[in-house]
Amino acid sequence: MRKLTCILAITMLISGLLLAPAALAADKIVIGVTTSLNFLEGKEAHNAVNLAVGEINKAGGVKVGGKMLPFVVESIDIRDAAPGVPVPEALLGMEKLILEKKPNALVVGPFRSEALLAGMDMLAKHKVPLLGTIAMSPKTEARVAKNPKYKYVFRVSLDAKYFVGYIAGVMGFMGKEFGFNKVFIMNQDVAWARATAGIMTKIFKGKLKWDVVGHETFPTGASDFAPALMKAKMKGAQVIMPVFDMPQSGILIKQWKAMKVPAVMAGFISPLTGPTAWKTFDAKIGGVVNAVFELGSIPSAKYPPSKKFYDAYVAKYGKPLEAGHGPAPAYASVYLLKAAIEKAGSLDPDAIVAALRATDAPSVMGHVKFTKGNQVIYGKDPKKAALGCFFQWSDDGKRVIVYPPAIAEGKIKLPTGMKAAK
Amino acid sequence: MLQGTLIYGFINSVVLMLVALGFSVTFGISGVANFAYGALYVMAGYLSWLGLHSLGLPYWLAAPGAVAITAGVAAMIYWFILLRVRGLVVSEVIATFGMGLAILELFRYLGFIGFEYTLPPLIDASVMIGDTYVDAQRLCIVGAGILLAAFLWFFTHYTKTGLAFRGIAQDERTALTLGINADKVAAWSVAFGAGYAALAALVILPLGTIAVNEGYNVLVNALAVCIVGGLGSTVGIIVASFLIGFAQILTATYLETSWMMLVSLVAILAILVIKPSGLFGHQKQLEERI
Repeated sequence: MRKLTCILAITMLISGLLLAPAALAADKIVIGVTTSLNFLEGKEAHNAVNLAVGEINKAGGVKVGGKMLPFVVESIDIRDAAPGVPVPEALLGMEKLILEKKPNALVVGPFRSEALLAGMDMLAKHKVPLLGTIAMSPKTEARVAKNPKYKYVFRVSLDAKYFVGYIAGVMGFMGKEFGFNKVFIMNQDVAWARATAGIMTKIFKGKLKWDVVGHETFPTGASDFAPALMKAKMKGAQVIMPVFDMPQSGILIKQWKAMKVPAVMAGFISPLTGPTAWKTFDAKIGGVVNAVFELGSIPSAKYPPSKKFYDAYVAKYGKPLEAGHGPAPAYASVYLLKAAIEKAGSLDPDAIVAALRATDAPSVMGHVKFTKGNQVIYGKDPKKAALGCFFQWSDDGKRVIVYPPAIAEGKIKLPTGMKAAK
Repeated sequence: MLQGTLIYGFINSVVLMLVALGFSVTFGISGVANFAYGALYVMAGYLSWLGLHSLGLPYWLAAPGAVAITAGVAAMIYWFILLRVRGLVVSEVIATFGMGLAILELFRYLGFIGFEYTLPPLIDASVMIGDTYVDAQRLCIVGAGILLAAFLWFFTHYTKTGLAFRGIAQDERTALTLGINADKVAAWSVAFGAGYAALAALVILPLGTIAVNEGYNVLVNALAVCIVGGLGSTVGIIVASFLIGFAQILTATYLETSWMMLVSLVAILAILVIKPSGLFGHQKQLEERI
């Protein structure tokens, strides 16, 4: 009997010690930011999270069951965007933060879809909701829709599937306006870019009836694109569609200009998104059509919340947003999380997930609703859905939004010296 | 297409020659396989960038400054680390590789990641050769390659230090009897090799961005060229650069760009199987004959 009492006492003591952090954590809501913090998108998304948290805390915090709790941000650099960093290493970083800081939710999340896909089981095991804003492979959505155990994984940013919808729109416009029908695809060798290039190849050949004259895949870190550009020129490409999110990819445009390849560059090159790209690339990016994955990362006068966020970011950090992917949904995620916690009335992860799934609210990047696979629905009107867009660098260094029509400030123009095919 | 392939193949070959020359010089003289070579190349790029953008120095000051500091760091690596393990090949490799990793990962840790880390081209223009446009920077690379190869030949044949380099390279013991300080010359050779890496970085990096990972790529390319050409053989370096350089561009043009990186690795494997001493190397010929 004495032995049993002793065992019970030790069990209660250990339980008490284990539960203590959870009880202590109830005086704050911990948001974990687990991403590649040294990369532009990760750095600015982290800043955007801090901006939203600052605003919310300043306004009193989050109402949980009649009590106002502040948000606290804990972050870790999981380095998954860097070439050569193995996925397990990135996941170790994510799990470290989950175990040590006990976050109520994660935002931003892994850069690489490979890391997100591999980390879904971990998130399910620890029951930590993630509002991802960078990794883009549509496979996560399919897995969430298929298996309820993955319900904790949400994506607030654009995914590759919606992205190709926007590219197809831009290409369709150029086909009609300029008579173009020959494209050369160049993409980075990472899951989301491969998926985008693959789906676009089918769309070009099917719906758009274009000729894909070439397709080249580059390892992350590649910086010499001359052989591929030479091929594009020789094969008579009228449009080059780049899909890259690595810092080195901006050089593609300099080489395209230097080699005078007579083709419109239209797609996504992450370093070309922000306003300082004009100076960084020696004013040689005029005519390039580039994507911004989420409205808000570029301001639109036609959708004031996007401009309000952009201006608030500039006011707090003293410099403009350079990343076209990540910051706006990261900012929106914090507000979505706040609304979900208040609706759930508790910090129970299942209740938060249920409330998040029922989201139907405006945000800085348009109206937010989730699919059954926990993916935010993207459309062409910010009043009805979240929005991504394309802009064109003008010859005097301005970013002019050209697609979709609901927020367009101008039409796509051919780069200087290039002629339409009709 | 063929004309363009030949032009870009030639330029790519000179790029490979430039990145391999310094590595080969150091090994040929001191016998040190400097595995920190790629890191020193990247360091020169970042130092130059810092001089230009953080200190606001003019290019003519920032660039030579970066070369001098890189060479100085390499000399210190030799004097404070390698000197103690000189002659112990495995220890030398571990020490230099460790130093290289430390330098590269330090830059990564300090946040030197991003598209803004670019160096200005020496000439910002395009030139038409036949029916192929080539940016002038690539022509500068060709010019720099020829100049540096010629300077190396002149330096090792007509200067006192260069002759000491060759003396140590031919027979260290005999050189010692002639009053040549082997350790001092070896330190000079490591610094000289690093200086060549820095000069290569200054002309090649304007084509792309300065990235930590470039250090690893440069090391692989330098190793591939040196192994194929024969460690320590300048003629071998030039021949191997052209073999691998053209093979890479032909692969990218007629097969897939993503296969380019395989060319160096296949070349290393092939030469190790067929002739381990390399095309013009003499290091292991006796063992090969046996």
